[in-house]
Amino acid sequence: MAPTLTLRACVVLLAWLASAAATAEVWQADQKSGALRFVATQAGARFSGHFGDFQVRLDFDPKEPANARLDVTIATRSANTADTDRDEVLRSQDFFWVARFPQAVYHAVGLKREGKAWVTSGTLTLRGVTQPIAVRFELKPRQGSFTMQGGATLRRLEFGVGQGDWASTTWIGDPVDVAFELKLARDSAAVSP
Amino acid sequence: MPLRNTPARYGSVAQTLHWVIVGLLIVQFTLGKIAEDLPNGFDKLVILARHKSFGITILALALLRLAWRLFDRPPPIPPMPGWQATAARISHFSLYTLLFAMPLTGWTMSSASNYPVSWFGLVQLPDLVAPDPALKEALQEVHETLSNILLALASLHVAAALKHQFLDRDGLMFRMLPWRLR
Repeated sequence: MAPTLTLRACVVLLAWLASAAATAEVWQADQKSGALRFVATQAGARFSGHFGDFQVRLDFDPKEPANARLDVTIATRSANTADTDRDEVLRSQDFFWVARFPQAVYHAVGLKREGKAWVTSGTLTLRGVTQPIAVRFELKPRQGSFTMQGGATLRRLEFGVGQGDWASTTWIGDPVDVAFELKLARDSAAVSP
Repeated sequence: MPLRNTPARYGSVAQTLHWVIVGLLIVQFTLGKIAEDLPNGFDKLVILARHKSFGITILALALLRLAWRLFDRPPPIPPMPGWQATAARISHFSLYTLLFAMPLTGWTMSSASNYPVSWFGLVQLPDLVAPDPALKEALQEVHETLSNILLALASLHVAAALKHQFLDRDGLMFRMLPWRLR
């Protein structure tokens, strides 16, 4: 019994490895599988918030990282800082202008290895402005899947987030740190090229 | 004027702490009232940030003042009816309590609304509680109510000092003033 089971397991594992080696796999995550947070500075104090609605899609073959694709779509309306007054300001024209720009989109092709981490050099489109942003993350195998953990730093004023008085970096810091921790799931619906 | 209290009056340390805190409390009431009437926006953020920085300053000064008071006991109060002496003790105790309760409820409220407090943009203070909108609402009521009690007690305190000075003519007010008017 035992050798048969082991043999069968080996066959399944080899088949899986073969398929993984042959084609890129598509992984996905959203707000149910982790958190996408941001940390900004207000009146000299750092505070954090998160996005309650986003989708992450990672098209990734470890053998061909140069062809990997990372796509992230964030509903700007879902910015949540645990204060309804501030969230209202974030949705207004002076910040995310969600009525006109309901989504922030990150898109990157190609991953580079830097130590244990992967680094992308993609672009973020936020409030109608597209700027290059590097995202650094680690992929850790976990229960037949991966956890994707990392972040990026952006300058909010490059995207026009914070108009008029709000552009003052004395009161609202320019750099904003974004951090995520996601459990990736295999996208069975996706057909990999 | 000596640094320490004498039997006749408070010393310069106690007097300085008293009057600096008086000045800051006036600033705090003014900023608090202005912020209350402002719409949600940039000006409100700036005014409340200042309000918090001054509030933390008062908390630090109140700690210093209490420590100094324990180290350097206040001069005895002049002869007066027993009920007045008791009323003075109770109101002084309450004023001290409020000097701590006002900044601490404000700080906690700020933490509960996920607005961590920074002291004039120089030092970020730790959060006292996790973000909690319901707690924030409750603390806002408490903070405002306490500020009204503080205003009433401070008015009573001033009225009593003026009564001693100008009706009883017992010179009580000079105990907290750097000069003698007569």
